[in-house]
Amino acid sequence: MKPLARLALLAAIAVAALLVAVRLGAVPLSLRQVMDGVRGTADPTTVAIVRRLRLPRAVLAAMVGGSLAASGATFQALLRNPLAEPYILGISGGAAVGAVFAIALGGTLASAGVVGVAALAGAVFAVLLVFRLAAVVGRALDTRILLLAGVVVGAFFNACILLALTFADADAFRSAIFWMMGSFSGATWRGIALLGAAMVPGMTLLLALARPLNLLSVGEETAAYLGTRVERTKLLAYGTASLLTAGAVAVSGVIGFVGLVVPHVVRMLWGPDHRFLIPASVLLGAAFVVLADTLARTAAAPTELPVGVVTAFVGVPFFVWLLRRRAA
Amino acid sequence: MFPTDPKRRIPIAAALAAALLAGCGGRADDRARGGAAADSSVSVTDDAGRTVTLPRPARRIVALVPAATETVIALGAGERLVGRTAYDRGVMVERLPSVGGGLDPSIEKLVSLHPDLVLGWETTGRTELRDRLTALGIPVFSVKLEDTTDVFRSIRSLGRLTGRTDAADSLATAIRGELDAVRASVAASPRPSVFFLVWNDPPMTAGPKTFVSQVIEIAGGRNAFADQAALWPNVSLEEIVRRQPDFVVVPIGEQGTVRLEALKTSVGWRELRALREGRGVSVPSQVVNQPGPHLAEAARAVRDAIHPELRGR
Repeated sequence: MKPLARLALLAAIAVAALLVAVRLGAVPLSLRQVMDGVRGTADPTTVAIVRRLRLPRAVLAAMVGGSLAASGATFQALLRNPLAEPYILGISGGAAVGAVFAIALGGTLASAGVVGVAALAGAVFAVLLVFRLAAVVGRALDTRILLLAGVVVGAFFNACILLALTFADADAFRSAIFWMMGSFSGATWRGIALLGAAMVPGMTLLLALARPLNLLSVGEETAAYLGTRVERTKLLAYGTASLLTAGAVAVSGVIGFVGLVVPHVVRMLWGPDHRFLIPASVLLGAAFVVLADTLARTAAAPTELPVGVVTAFVGVPFFVWLLRRRAA
Repeated sequence: MFPTDPKRRIPIAAALAAALLAGCGGRADDRARGGAAADSSVSVTDDAGRTVTLPRPARRIVALVPAATETVIALGAGERLVGRTAYDRGVMVERLPSVGGGLDPSIEKLVSLHPDLVLGWETTGRTELRDRLTALGIPVFSVKLEDTTDVFRSIRSLGRLTGRTDAADSLATAIRGELDAVRASVAASPRPSVFFLVWNDPPMTAGPKTFVSQVIEIAGGRNAFADQAALWPNVSLEEIVRRQPDFVVVPIGEQGTVRLEALKTSVGWRELRALREGRGVSVPSQVVNQPGPHLAEAARAVRDAIHPELRGR
């Protein structure tokens, strides 16, 4: 199968996942009702459920899944580490600190928008802090130092979160924990538009960096010999992948395993060429998260599972299998 | 669950019976009073300070707050409940479809029940759920139930929202009368200090601003942690041991925390003289942890637990 045909197949899977997501939920709908709901000709309740609840939620899940998978693939190439994932440089910790502090201290001001902005600020702060630390220690963007800085910053942020939770009241505590588990329940078209404005250029840029990423994943010296402007590429790629992750975290909290697992699946099936790996990861990540969220909404309906729980339940066994395979 | 002496139950029972009877033939008495006529609009300010206006008294209600569910039933409007949360118990609501948790219900499920009023938690500042439902055209009335004042206000508000102000008035009067009776019964007794166990690990108790703490005071006790600022403060086991409360009150039931027997032998807790000397007492959690129409019953249960000599008075 040609790469383009494969991408078309993956795109079809992603669309099918979206359709399944809009059909299934606490209130089951037929395909007919979904179509009428999208067109606005069904009864008002169905229209509201389809247009204002399920569709934005599925679209948001797709965008977040695609972003996480793309940035996971990028981090794996940059850090030349199969265990790299979008949150490896402490972004999730930074975002969680922002969100939890907004929830715990914000009181009456902590609306969804404020929490999202705080999470975004925390994520950006974490990235800047990690790069600053790495620059202080030695050569900027040195892989090993970046990883260490990420671990240290992440640990520090975790301590901050625990500190904030110690003093939070029960309501805030619960909200904070729920935020950290990740959810798409806050999906609105406005949020999607805002996110899209950042994510579409971000993903396009990563696609454009596919060839240099191919060379970088072999090794920085090799890439430099073959004419890649290594530092510039790294800076762009780190920056873009971090931005995508920060955006995803701000709207939906921390959703694990997508960024780790999806690029590996694509590599195993179709090889490591980033010109294919990145778009395929986007599509597969989107489909995976949309289906995971559908499961999260329906498995224990009307109670919703955190989507991070579902992705982890699928991701952990895969992760273990991956480790064993590498050990063999 | 109910005190044994039938005389004590009469006022509330009468109020409930009156409410239920009125509920059956509700229209007539509403029209007779001319206040909230059955089809005129009602406007009530909720506990978040928003004015909620309904074109007519609510007929399809989903209460996300169990105590509010109880209140709606006590007002004789139980028939108008069309959904419940996973935490609601009771004959009236068990047949209803569940919308999930009270703080994180399935919005889809809610919308599909076509409620004309949702009673939600007043969650300071976190208005996502309220905003979503409002955007979908469903009026949300936010309820804050921290102290006894809140309880009486909610009874009045829900009475207006359901067009059952008379039932609300008589219910509130009955509860007040009962509370006064409990207060009078302990007037001459010493006031033991009470540790109310909300949770055992980490130890959590009721702060002075909660209905639980006020119920303890009415029942002739002193909240051992009346000096705390938080609503439901986490307190260290050491501090509880240091204060040596005269009684440890543990709510037991479906939402119960820990068995009293297990508590008596567990590390730290066994240092409490109250537990060693049989002054660890249990109260029904369904009654005592519910800031709703069972307030007087709760006061009586706590009174009976910490003043056993007054039981049945």
